[in-house]
Amino acid sequence: MKGADLKLVMLGKRFGGNAGQTEALRDVNLEIRGGEFVTIVGPSGCGKSTLLSLVAGLEEPTTGWVAMDGHRVHGPGADRIVVFQDAALFPWLDVTGNVEFGLRVAGVPRKDRQQRVLEHLEMVQLEKFAHARVHELSGGMKQRVALARALVLRPRVLLMDEPFAALDVQIREEMQSVVQDLWVRSGTTTLFVTHDVREAAVLGDRIVVLSHRPGTVSAILENGARRPRTLNDAGVVEAIRRSNEILKAEVQWSSNQPKMQL
Amino acid sequence: MVEQPAQDAAVKRRRERSLAWEFRHLIPMVAIAISAIAIWELIFRSGVWGFLFPGPTQVARALVDFWNSTRLVRAIVATLRRLAVGFLISLVLGALLAFLMVRFTTFGKGIQPYILGLQTFPSIAWVPLSLIWFGFSDALRTVPPVYLQAARNMGSDGMDLILRVTVPAALPHLISAAKVGWSFAWRSLIGAEIIFATVGLGFLLNASASVPDIAGVMGVMLVILVIGIVVDQLAFTKTQEWASRRRGLRPRR
Repeated sequence: MKGADLKLVMLGKRFGGNAGQTEALRDVNLEIRGGEFVTIVGPSGCGKSTLLSLVAGLEEPTTGWVAMDGHRVHGPGADRIVVFQDAALFPWLDVTGNVEFGLRVAGVPRKDRQQRVLEHLEMVQLEKFAHARVHELSGGMKQRVALARALVLRPRVLLMDEPFAALDVQIREEMQSVVQDLWVRSGTTTLFVTHDVREAAVLGDRIVVLSHRPGTVSAILENGARRPRTLNDAGVVEAIRRSNEILKAEVQWSSNQPKMQL
Repeated sequence: MVEQPAQDAAVKRRRERSLAWEFRHLIPMVAIAISAIAIWELIFRSGVWGFLFPGPTQVARALVDFWNSTRLVRAIVATLRRLAVGFLISLVLGALLAFLMVRFTTFGKGIQPYILGLQTFPSIAWVPLSLIWFGFSDALRTVPPVYLQAARNMGSDGMDLILRVTVPAALPHLISAAKVGWSFAWRSLIGAEIIFATVGLGFLLNASASVPDIAGVMGVMLVILVIGIVVDQLAFTKTQEWASRRRGLRPRR
């Protein structure tokens, strides 16, 4: 199934009661074509994760809306799957149990389930660990399981929330190529949030730079380099340079602002 | 598959050894029991308390007499049956109420003061129930929100979410809560039996005291102690270890 078109319209989110409100996002407008790989980069606390939660339907927006293929999104659904930073695997289940979780919820018959789970474990090269327990896996393996658990549901949108932030550099690069392979194979629309500008520039066909709180779209960069990309490609180097420039200006601007909260 | 008797025997031996290994932590416990009985005997022989303080042999004899007259067996059966029925009822009610309290926060907030009140309720029999309610809803609140988010994200909701995620995620805490509930239940059951019952360990304790058969009283006390230890070790400590080990946590002792 082809990835879905996504449209974020005047999207905003405030947290907290009337007393101490925090504005996480303000007026975010973004159009993403079906099957596109877009990265979202910004300083910590810029509302990147909130943006994903709104698309996933785990949070309701305060203003604006999210539309998938022209239909407004309400609440969570297995067509938009999040891969969380710490994988969020269920420790009481083994690897197979985790990967088949969504299929069980959807009531997919056992035979189908087994076959699809195996297929996806092979895709992330973990078929030998089908019955391993979560605590026996390394960080990279956990994220592979999380990817398999997401893709086995054939989501139309894949939402990745700093999935590799906690991994070692080498493992991170390996996982970046795993994600690109899987994206090519599945053709799903992918929104990948990161605070690592280099990661954003290698993975994203477009790079959305968010400003500091409240998060707004500072710039959208087209990636000049073709896939497969490396950090040395001229287009990637240029994307990193420009993103850094924008982020730096942003940080200077916001540090000159009086503190609104507290 | 080809039979391999030699290997089977080896596996069996290993299994037997591992069973002994399983119970190695009981060795200090047994050693302490033996020393305690020895000290008890010494104090008894010194004769400081006279007839009010029977020795281990007299208590053992009293227990054998109880056993031969089947009074002890009937008492144990009656007490354990009461415990099982009461504990099951409170588990079911407690779990149900805990779910409601966590699922519907307004309901939870509304009923919390009543449960608090229940704890100061003068009837001792209410204590285990309210403790389990408390323990369970606290346990359910320990579930990391990211598990619930991930599960909702994959289409789980309502009762499905509770059964698939909340309960298994909270299982180690739920077992702890049940353990606390059980020890309260055991204490208050014996207490209630002393006052109200006509059969059961508490009754036997009271009946022996009114004879007065001090050796009998101490014998029943020992039985109550041993049942408490056995249930705690087998039913709760073991299942807790199992639940923790499955998720790679260090078992708590």
